Amino acid sequence: MFKKILFICLLPLVASAQETIYDSFVLAPGWTKLSFIPPESGTYTLPTYPKATNGNVINHKSEVKSLYQLYDNKITLLNFMYTTCTDINGCPLATAVFHKIQQKVSKDPVLSKKIRLLSLSFDPKNDTPDVLKLYATGTDKQLVDWQFLTSSSPELLDPILRGYQQRIVKEYDENGNYIGSISHILRVFLIDQEKNVRNIYSVSFLHPDLLINDIKTLLDPKTKNGTVIARSAN
Amino acid sequence: MKKLISTLYGMLMSAFLAVALVPTQAFSDETCMSPYMAKIVGQEDYVYVWTLGQVGVGDEQDKLVTIAVNPNSPHYGNVIGHVSVGGRNEAHHSGFTDDRHYLWAATLDTSKIFIFDVHTNPNKPKLHKVITNFVKASGGIVGPHTTYALPGRMMISGLSNNQDFGGRTALVEYTNDGTYVATYHMPHDENLYGATKTGQIADGYGYDVRALPRRNVMITSSFTGWNNYMMNLGKLMGDSDAMKRFGNTVVVWDLHSRKPKKVFDVPGAPLEIRCAWGSQNNYCFTTTALTSQIWLIYEKDGEWQTESVGTIGDPAKIPLPVDISITADDKHLWVNTWNDGMTRVFDISDPHNAKEVYTKVIGDQVNMLSQSWDGKRVYFTSSLLANWDKADGPEKMPQFFKAYDYKDGELQFKFAIDFATEKLGMPHQMRFGAYSLYAKSPKDGAKVAELSK
Repeated sequence: MFKKILFICLLPLVASAQETIYDSFVLAPGWTKLSFIPPESGTYTLPTYPKATNGNVINHKSEVKSLYQLYDNKITLLNFMYTTCTDINGCPLATAVFHKIQQKVSKDPVLSKKIRLLSLSFDPKNDTPDVLKLYATGTDKQLVDWQFLTSSSPELLDPILRGYQQRIVKEYDENGNYIGSISHILRVFLIDQEKNVRNIYSVSFLHPDLLINDIKTLLDPKTKNGTVIARSAN
Repeated sequence: MKKLISTLYGMLMSAFLAVALVPTQAFSDETCMSPYMAKIVGQEDYVYVWTLGQVGVGDEQDKLVTIAVNPNSPHYGNVIGHVSVGGRNEAHHSGFTDDRHYLWAATLDTSKIFIFDVHTNPNKPKLHKVITNFVKASGGIVGPHTTYALPGRMMISGLSNNQDFGGRTALVEYTNDGTYVATYHMPHDENLYGATKTGQIADGYGYDVRALPRRNVMITSSFTGWNNYMMNLGKLMGDSDAMKRFGNTVVVWDLHSRKPKKVFDVPGAPLEIRCAWGSQNNYCFTTTALTSQIWLIYEKDGEWQTESVGTIGDPAKIPLPVDISITADDKHLWVNTWNDGMTRVFDISDPHNAKEVYTKVIGDQVNMLSQSWDGKRVYFTSSLLANWDKADGPEKMPQFFKAYDYKDGELQFKFAIDFATEKLGMPHQMRFGAYSLYAKSPKDGAKVAELSK
């Protein structure tokens, strides 16, 4: 139970500790109520982007899995993160959004079985399976499966990052010492059951209501896997 | 216990939001980048100038020119290199990918898009890839203009089509690695694609594209087709039929679904679109080239509308407003007028009532302008289109890059580069570069630029 509370508390504590350095920041929309009415699910086409990249990763139980095994005919949301990330509008935002999605979708037993959330660390040195356990055990009783992943080495991770164009830059001080932060652009990928990327969300677009709408669009009978079959009357 | 955890989480989240949601302020912009893209908030290191090749000048090819603009650099004020692309294509606008690693430089004649790697070595961009199948892949769209970053992909506004080479066109989406994704046609009278025509016109023309993600809105403007923009300007002005074929519309789109929602009458070729930065300022500006008006595109009571809010110079003299730039405090709008070589600053504190507060002659046929994020530096270039620039021959034709400081409401000249003397060509759009975007430092020891997060 302590681990569960730790996980739930983690986001706001990390975020509040850092807020003073973001005085020129605009808080990302994903932290708040969506400020517009999103288009109705199933009424729009999600473009089909190139196939999602495959590669081997390690879960919090130290099991080696391929990403394609994890996609497993489910609709997948994949984000890249590192657990010591302190950017309010970075990894903590994605984790918070996934948490909200998990809470909302778990109320729908049919929908929840078709969805998987994956958070893949790009800091394998620090984010070991044991560290990721702290996160995974906080989510394990929900209907929507959420797995925390890492890699056995930067060499195995690099092709995956390249495939998703998830660029990372380790930051160093003036003396060349690594300061523990990794600059990156927040990206979350929506991957359909055929392993195609169907949407990419960054800070300004990442909101649980929008992501859930897109998931429902992929499953909506008015679409064929997210492509609108018949043009609406208007 | 579940309720307790939920309550605890809610309390902590509420406390966090109460602290974090303090009023925020952005200090100026790099004028027209995508929201949330990394910005250079201090001194930029380089200006990349997408430059048209000019017959009789240097290698006559389009090129990306790199100028050192950091006063701490020993190369300050000089061209430090260029990359020629092998021909003339009517180089025009350019835009970074969302990770700011690549610069997509579009061309209006051949419809090629040149993708430059600007992250490996910011002082020496390298041609990374050329998209040569834009017309075929997009289903006949011609003249890629704005290359606007969306997450992991680029939204490109077309100017024309390969059926009649007129102004009907579309938005075209590509992935960041250069793979075609989709084409979204501009609404026109024969097919509004579900949009509502609010006025008399639905011309289907295109020019600029900008987005306000927080309102799920994308906005496009309208110029003219290949037949007109590739025609000699004198000939065009004398062709009354051709002069009727300019865009007169702005379209508001649903950004998420990529569907056009409303078509507005904005007569006289609305060109650049710049959206406000303030988190509650749900509006954008555009200016009309032929009618010399400032237009506000704004949301009121949940509905988007347009309104003419100011006049630029004397419209009867056709000053021809071209590039515009909004300051990040949303208080001022810079407007260049090509025909009289002036830059003008409008007070837009009241966005419904734009008032001119400053003018300065920059030089004949001034066109593009870029201001730094902190608003302290402004850069200008000449050149509009290859066949529209004043054709007095390469020796007499002013083709310049000029750098100014902006302090206490006054421009202070710093340096200029004569693109004819330097045998470079006709300078057009500018984008900023900095080592610190990529956690790098210049080898010459210059202080690195400060970044936003």
